[in-house]
Amino acid sequence: MLSQSIWWSSIVLEVFLLTRGVSGRLIFRYPAFYGYISFVLAQSIFRSFVHRWSEELYSSVYWTTEFLGLILGCWIVFEIYRVALAAYPGTAKMARKILLFLFVLALAKADVALWSDPRLLAETTALQMERALRTVQAIAIVALVTVFASYSIPFGRNLRGILLGYGLFIAERVICLAFVPVAGKDFWFYAYSASYLVALGLWLGYLWSYQVIPEAENAQLERDYQLIMTTTQRRLQEARGQLRKAVRL
Amino acid sequence: MIGFASLIAGAVLLLLLLAAAINGWLASRPLGTGPAAGEEDATEPCPEELVNRVFSCADWEFVRGLKAAGIERLFEQERKKVALVWVRQTCAMVRKVMREHAGAARQSKNLEFPTEINIFAQFLILMGVCGILSAAIQLAGPLWLGSLAYFAQRLSQRVSKLQETFQAGALANAREAPSA
Repeated sequence: MLSQSIWWSSIVLEVFLLTRGVSGRLIFRYPAFYGYISFVLAQSIFRSFVHRWSEELYSSVYWTTEFLGLILGCWIVFEIYRVALAAYPGTAKMARKILLFLFVLALAKADVALWSDPRLLAETTALQMERALRTVQAIAIVALVTVFASYSIPFGRNLRGILLGYGLFIAERVICLAFVPVAGKDFWFYAYSASYLVALGLWLGYLWSYQVIPEAENAQLERDYQLIMTTTQRRLQEARGQLRKAVRL
Repeated sequence: MIGFASLIAGAVLLLLLLAAAINGWLASRPLGTGPAAGEEDATEPCPEELVNRVFSCADWEFVRGLKAAGIERLFEQERKKVALVWVRQTCAMVRKVMREHAGAARQSKNLEFPTEINIFAQFLILMGVCGILSAAIQLAGPLWLGSLAYFAQRLSQRVSKLQETFQAGALANAREAPSA
């Protein structure tokens, strides 16, 4: 009963979100995000049909669409990065380097794990695989949000909504996946399904209509990076000198 | 193991997003906004005189010479307040420097990744020092900070001396072992 109501609520909210996206022409500004929502809507309906036809086929369809959704989710993260940092090449470069470092680290960790236990891949369940991939996604979003916050990147209401909603959805999923049982339905199973509803509610609120992203109106002219860096280091050294003096007196 | 790591990653992301939503880090603010409230005065560092005065024992010795317990207590309280204001102001100045750096660097095409990491590390260290200094002032007062630092230095010297002695002993034992 609860699963049914979560399912129906998701469908209604997704249709509503897509309708608002089309009427507000937001769909052209954030194609990856609306592409993802359309995919999730189509996948939900397709899964329910398959569930009626064949229980055996359902499991493989479920996991195939789940992993496709996960890949499309990465496309949303890329869209956030692309739109938010279009006017900030310095921050974009920083974000790229950090994300690259994280992916190399994740690949190296997976490589070491496979090297030490070659049967690991065969023994890993789809649920464990999803948990590992979602964790990498969560870490990438943490890094991206930290970069945005450190460089005070101005966000429009719509993009902020997409990031908050998707970030919250991933965080909830990752937490739920740590507890959700392989078989059976407990609190974490329902929390796992309901996490998407929370994100949909947020998206609907933030993407009700198009809001302009604050432009770099009075942005400073690009200064020489060496000059910026030297000035910052000099000022930080001044502060350090003051603190040292206070302790040594 | 991966379950625990996932849990930590999920919790960190959740907390970060909540903090971002509450503090408005991802707010739709225009570029070049003015400094945050309370940080406007932190445009320039405090005069050197102030630092010398607040943390030196000269005034304290004078007050102690008056032999009035009430004045001593009042002096200590006031000095603590001034020292804490100074630490807060220094902290705000460091934050302002970083904000201005971020504002200028985000548009720079030739931004250097290692330099940025180095600057960020310096910022974190300075913030940490400010936090420790603030806690030390709260606990011991600004007047005893110098002696506290001196005590810490002496202690660390003693520890390193002990470590050297221990290492020398271990080396001597290692040399003796094959001959035995």
